[in-house]
Amino acid sequence: MTENNKYWKGIEDQSNPELSEKLAQNEFSNEISSADFLGNDEAVESQTSRRDFLKFMGFSTAAATLAACEAPIVESIPYVVKPDSLTPGMPSYYATAMFDGMDFASVLIKTREGRPIKVEPNGDAAFNGATNARAQASVLSLYDGARLRSPKVNQEATSWDAALTAAKNLITPNSVLLTGTVLSPALSSAIEKLGIRHISVDNVSQSARLDVYESFTGKRGLPMIRLEAAQTVFAVGADFLGDWGGQNFSAAYATRRKPGKGMLKHIQAEAGLTISGSNADTRMKVRVSEYEAVLATVYNTVAKAKGFDTVSAPALRSDIANSVKSAAQDLLAAGEGALVLNGLNSKVAERLTLAINLALGSKAFDTTTFVYTSKGDDKAYAQLVKDVKGGSVDTLVTLDVNPAYAMKELNLEGVKVVSIADREDETAINAAVALPLSHYLESWSDFVPADGHYAVGQPTISPLFDSKSAVEIINSLANGSESAVELVKASANSLVADKAWNALLHDGFAMVPAAEIAMNGSMNGEMIDVSGINVAKPSTGLEFYTYTKTGMGAGTNANNPWTYELPDPITRLSWDNYLVMSAADAVEYGVEIEAQSNGAMNGTTVNITVDGKTLENVPVWIQPGQTAGTIGLAVGFGRQNVGKVGNGIGVNAFDLLPASSALSTKVSVVATEVEHGFASVQLAHTMMGRKIVNEISLPTFLNEDPTVWNEKPTFETHKGPMSAFEANLWDDHDHETSHMWNMSIDLNSCTGCGACVVACSLENNVPVVGKEEVRKHRDMHWLRIDRYYSSDMTAEVAEEEGVSAIEKYAKMEVPSESPSVVFQPVMCQHCNHAPCETVCPVGATVHSREGLNHMAYNRCIGTRYCANNCPYKVRRFNWFNYKGNEQFADVNPSQDDYGRMVLNPDVTVRARGVIEKCSLCIQRIQLGKLEAKKDGRILNDGEFTTACAQACGSNAIVFGDVNNPKSEVSHLKQEGRAYHLLEEVGTQPSVFYQTKVRNRA
Amino acid sequence: MHYESPVRNPLILGDKSYSDITNDIAKPVESKAPRSWWIAFSIAFVMFLWGVGCILYTIGTGIGVWGLNKTVDWAWDITNFVWWVGIGHAGTLISAVLLLFRQKWRMAINRSAEAMTIFSVIQAGLFPLIHMGRIWMAYWVMPIPNQYGSLWVNFNSPLLWDVFAISTYLTVSTVFWYVGLIPDFAMIRDRAINPVQKHIYKILSFGWGGQAKHWQRFEEVSLVLAGLATPLVLSVHTIVSFDFATSVIPGWHTTIFPPYFVAGAIFSGFAMVQTLLLIVRKIFKMEDYINIEHIEMMNIVIMVTGSIVGVAYITELVIAWYSGVEYEQYAFLNRATGPYWWAYWSMMTCNVFSPQFMWSKKLRTNLVFTFVISIVVNIGMWFERFVIIVTSIHRDYLPSSWSMFSPTFVDIGIYIGTIGFFFVLFLLYARTFPVIAQAELKTILKSSGENFKKHHNEHGAH
Amino acid sequence: MGHTKHNPIVRALFNDDDIVLSAVKDLRANGYNVSEVYSPFPIHGLDEAMGLKRTRLSTAAFFYGLTGLFFAAWMTYYTMILDWPQNIGGKPNATWFLNMPAFIPVVFELTVFFAAHLMCWSYFAVNGLYPGAKAQNPDPRTTDDHFLMEVELEGEEDDLNAKLQELGALEISKIEA
Repeated sequence: MTENNKYWKGIEDQSNPELSEKLAQNEFSNEISSADFLGNDEAVESQTSRRDFLKFMGFSTAAATLAACEAPIVESIPYVVKPDSLTPGMPSYYATAMFDGMDFASVLIKTREGRPIKVEPNGDAAFNGATNARAQASVLSLYDGARLRSPKVNQEATSWDAALTAAKNLITPNSVLLTGTVLSPALSSAIEKLGIRHISVDNVSQSARLDVYESFTGKRGLPMIRLEAAQTVFAVGADFLGDWGGQNFSAAYATRRKPGKGMLKHIQAEAGLTISGSNADTRMKVRVSEYEAVLATVYNTVAKAKGFDTVSAPALRSDIANSVKSAAQDLLAAGEGALVLNGLNSKVAERLTLAINLALGSKAFDTTTFVYTSKGDDKAYAQLVKDVKGGSVDTLVTLDVNPAYAMKELNLEGVKVVSIADREDETAINAAVALPLSHYLESWSDFVPADGHYAVGQPTISPLFDSKSAVEIINSLANGSESAVELVKASANSLVADKAWNALLHDGFAMVPAAEIAMNGSMNGEMIDVSGINVAKPSTGLEFYTYTKTGMGAGTNANNPWTYELPDPITRLSWDNYLVMSAADAVEYGVEIEAQSNGAMNGTTVNITVDGKTLENVPVWIQPGQTAGTIGLAVGFGRQNVGKVGNGIGVNAFDLLPASSALSTKVSVVATEVEHGFASVQLAHTMMGRKIVNEISLPTFLNEDPTVWNEKPTFETHKGPMSAFEANLWDDHDHETSHMWNMSIDLNSCTGCGACVVACSLENNVPVVGKEEVRKHRDMHWLRIDRYYSSDMTAEVAEEEGVSAIEKYAKMEVPSESPSVVFQPVMCQHCNHAPCETVCPVGATVHSREGLNHMAYNRCIGTRYCANNCPYKVRRFNWFNYKGNEQFADVNPSQDDYGRMVLNPDVTVRARGVIEKCSLCIQRIQLGKLEAKKDGRILNDGEFTTACAQACGSNAIVFGDVNNPKSEVSHLKQEGRAYHLLEEVGTQPSVFYQTKVRNRA
Repeated sequence: MHYESPVRNPLILGDKSYSDITNDIAKPVESKAPRSWWIAFSIAFVMFLWGVGCILYTIGTGIGVWGLNKTVDWAWDITNFVWWVGIGHAGTLISAVLLLFRQKWRMAINRSAEAMTIFSVIQAGLFPLIHMGRIWMAYWVMPIPNQYGSLWVNFNSPLLWDVFAISTYLTVSTVFWYVGLIPDFAMIRDRAINPVQKHIYKILSFGWGGQAKHWQRFEEVSLVLAGLATPLVLSVHTIVSFDFATSVIPGWHTTIFPPYFVAGAIFSGFAMVQTLLLIVRKIFKMEDYINIEHIEMMNIVIMVTGSIVGVAYITELVIAWYSGVEYEQYAFLNRATGPYWWAYWSMMTCNVFSPQFMWSKKLRTNLVFTFVISIVVNIGMWFERFVIIVTSIHRDYLPSSWSMFSPTFVDIGIYIGTIGFFFVLFLLYARTFPVIAQAELKTILKSSGENFKKHHNEHGAH
Repeated sequence: MGHTKHNPIVRALFNDDDIVLSAVKDLRANGYNVSEVYSPFPIHGLDEAMGLKRTRLSTAAFFYGLTGLFFAAWMTYYTMILDWPQNIGGKPNATWFLNMPAFIPVVFELTVFFAAHLMCWSYFAVNGLYPGAKAQNPDPRTTDDHFLMEVELEGEEDDLNAKLQELGALEISKIEA
């Protein structure tokens, strides 16, 4: 048995792309599949006689016997020269930044043994130093096996040189470069060097709004919103806690929403229920076509008060008119603390918004600093569409955009396409030349996300495949020879001369001097004067709009299992997009949703026609809080060539409505016979009148004593009334000495954005189980965010109307048509009197001295008794062998040779048949303790925290040691708002919640 | 000395002598199996094989092939477990308790009742094993010294109490049963003509000779075993009920469970014995030994225990209301009016209403009616366990986690498989074992035999 | 009855339990020694009639049970308190007594387990019962409806035979010791 060992002969081997490709393939050996073997005819019809067979048998038996005498050899190759920066087993962090055409974030990348495994927020960064769910998930896209592995010319794999030459030959002066928003100065200069017409267009267009500011300043950017300066915010269709505006508002929002005097007042007017709408104090159900009218009405009220001339505004529906007017009054009252946000991609709407904010002198609406995360220009794009049709464009170079999927009106038949993309997507698959684009974690780049802010993106791993970064590709198309790092370094030096390159790389960002935006036009003069503006009349029929989902966003992570598995914060559905429709419309169009006998949700599908374009069998979700007469559909789904995970999931909203248009009123909907199965993780949507999320109003909070609005259960004992923590059957264990880990979750700060859920899955290798399993309520998330709607039926109402108990509970299950919404993150509560621990026959789950509820996977025999006895239902069972069973091969990263690389080596991948659950990131606790021990010091508060707390932009989750009197969590435990979930059950949890306070009477 | 009050009806009918009893009881063992037996056996065997298939599929693929989910982690598995354990209670109860109370009528049925006990406890024992996610680690529930050093089991866990209770119950009832079987095996051994048969029964009968001293010890041992088995049988279902009673889940966390479960167990157990006896006496023509008298007695027990169970149901509701705990109140309201209302009301109808017919002598002495009721009762008792387990956890504290359960073909297959397995064992038993404790029966021939009673009544005791 | 030298045995076969019982009484009254009676079912009062001592199996069972109880107590103490006291759901693990309520079921079950099984083993042992043992009854009919009595022959054989005849024996045979 000889082996042909392959040794590195020298550096030229590595520079040989074919070979390194081959080796990359062989890095994970794959055995010959039985199918191949049996397919091989000689192998089957071989002339092996019985005697030969017996010989083989005899030999192999003997061989096997001999082999059995040897211990198996596990080969591991040590570093010949270990990089100083790298200690095996210890993570190293790199500061970088990500921009995917919609989200910009300054992040820290955790790498282990050279593998990026976790995205963490760069807390020091001045602009978007927080991560949302998509930023958290983005690391898995790096390990996407569906990525383009080498350049291709006419779909034939080839070398970079050949591909570049082919591309250059195609590029003529009549060629056009089509990109998304470009934030990178380095890239921009490369594009200039290329010298062909450049058009950028966004999947989620802000073009019309940008035009407004361009007309005043010549710059395509949006005013920076300084929420921290706001007193009253009125958002019209602007989901600023979700995806609106390119700024991450979670931190500012949380600070301004701290209960107390001067707490931010949040009013939302919107068509579909969004995260912002759910968190608002007052929410109005408004049609998209009414946004302009709403803003106009607000403007007129303000204008009257401030002495400007009003505009002619169409009358509003009676049921919203008053609330809009009172909102306007609130804004006036707030004075320069007022802030109006507009989410409609319309000149008129934005013009009015600008005028209102200026008229009120809003400090929060900073027109002197611009944010540039959207720069797409729909006018230029419209022109391109014409030219392509006219045939005046011969080659279209697409950089990280996918017109074949997202720009249906652009006819690609007439043009040759050079596609620069990370995968053979709908565009690249037919492109003349396809150039593989590196993932942001593999490439150099730089960013100017906003005036005065500069960030550098550095690679954290050398490219997995034969790909290059955008700046390098464009530069070499422009016959440049510089490497990416040289280009980025050059532009960095030109912008931040004062900051050393290494320091810049260390921080990942820098503040740069930026000229204040000069408005041509006086602030309180014609800027405010909008007389003669033509406010559109609201439609009365059915109207259709598109929106972005928390998981999917603009659709850049469309082959990333985590973006699908993450349940939508509002609908709690995963692995789908669907029309959202109000209950009233549902009745009208004969749409129904019902639970199956196993709890899975099935619903009616419809054929929908928008502006003459039809999609068939589109599922419909009946959404409380949806404005009657409006239906929305999330973009980014319905892909054909994205990869095994994303292909064929959901429908493509761009088939109905181009990104450039905000809504359509030419809509018709017809219910079909076809049923659709939803993957819903939540079956009941109301709190059934139970004290689960404790919610009060601001006046109550200010004027009443906590004992009134946060009453704790007491038990009558022979020693008199006792709290759930005092009333024990036996002497308690010692929880005072050493650490006592506790967690506080502020329901007032939590916006329900879901970043923590993805962060937890990443940190703890939580398996992805796919649609069919989620449908059966077998999602594996250790941390879930429960979403509850209010119901019109309450205990009080039942009391008054004398409703019977049976009827009361039946009605309580039905959410209100205009519900107020609460979010509650729930993970293992680490009870100190844990019901799960007592019942485990083998003691696989026991309590630690530090108040943690341990779970010993390799001791678990899988009786699931613990899961049954858990009042919080946070325990998850491994129903199948998720890392081996082919049912999950397409979805679970741990079954993919590349996806496996993202697994956190500090956390076991659980076997089939065992229970798993939140460990409060015990691997981080241990690391922190060991670090402190090595330095021989006491562990400081905030030295480390759990993945969820770290990912939480609004700092709603605080983790720490309550035995340390100086720790934040120990202070939070004393708060009047603090309470334990289901305290009356007597489980004595280590996790506690802070009462939610809404700023309304 | 063999006198018994004439008001008592005879327990052995017809003009029987000792050797008649011997012949009647040895007949099934010695004669060829009737066609009806073969039909029954092959049906049972097919069901059994299907069950084996489903179990292997589960073990090979994962518990995910059942209908469970993150909220309902137990459903048919534990329902069937409790159901079979419950059925398994009647046997020991009949032989032990009735022996302590010197109830002679037990002698006709205790053998089969004990057999039924053992066979159904075997079915019950299957479920705690196969419901484990990692059955190959099942031995970890035993406190075995191991290479991990101080790694022991958790004696706080009701599930572990179950391990000890069920294994003790199974083994003790087996020896109890076997001790009683030995003299009867000896009887068959001494009659056997076929050498193979003779040899087999020689092994089975342990060389029993029937010496006076041995009979003395035999009676002592039976008595002590009965004394041990009686608290044992009560403890077993009490401990099974602890699985739920000691939990924190509304609908499980109920102090009334131990007596309520025991009553339910006797209820279902007697019903199952009834079902089997009615079949056995028909197939093997044992009408003289298992007669109306016995069946009526059984029906009365069924009626009483059924009513006790009914009282327990009502008590639960009242306590839920009286507790003032909203979770408790909703749990029970949800049982009766929620998505699983049909299960709750099937339970009520089968367990509480149907046995009330037995107040009428006419009905409780009607064989067909009795047979139907005996089956209805066990259907009801299955629903009782399903209601307790599933309708409690499918909607517990946090509505966000509420869910539903529906069985897959595997759930159903395994259940049917155990029924098949049970009947395979029972039918084999009925062909090869003396189905009536003839030695014991002979001791009451003179006091309760029809002809002897007539003789007494005419001439008085001699 | 303390006889050292072996006398020949006379076997008498009966077909009714009442007759056997009265016969035993009669013979014993006449100073005969009824050494054994084989019967198909227990005959009440026969043991007194033959002057058999009470069996001590029940006493043994009591001590077996006691063993089980102490074993269970020791096992729970050793595993839960002494060897590795863990915090399980906050339950006390300082002393066995504090945690004892949780151990009662197991202690009870093991008590029964030991008592029942050890008693049965003893029962088999003292009766010489084991799988495959050869039948101990000299006449197979004694498991059906016949009763075999063994009387030690002291004095005149004919007297005894006559006596047995008179007592209703169906068959009489003599075995030399």
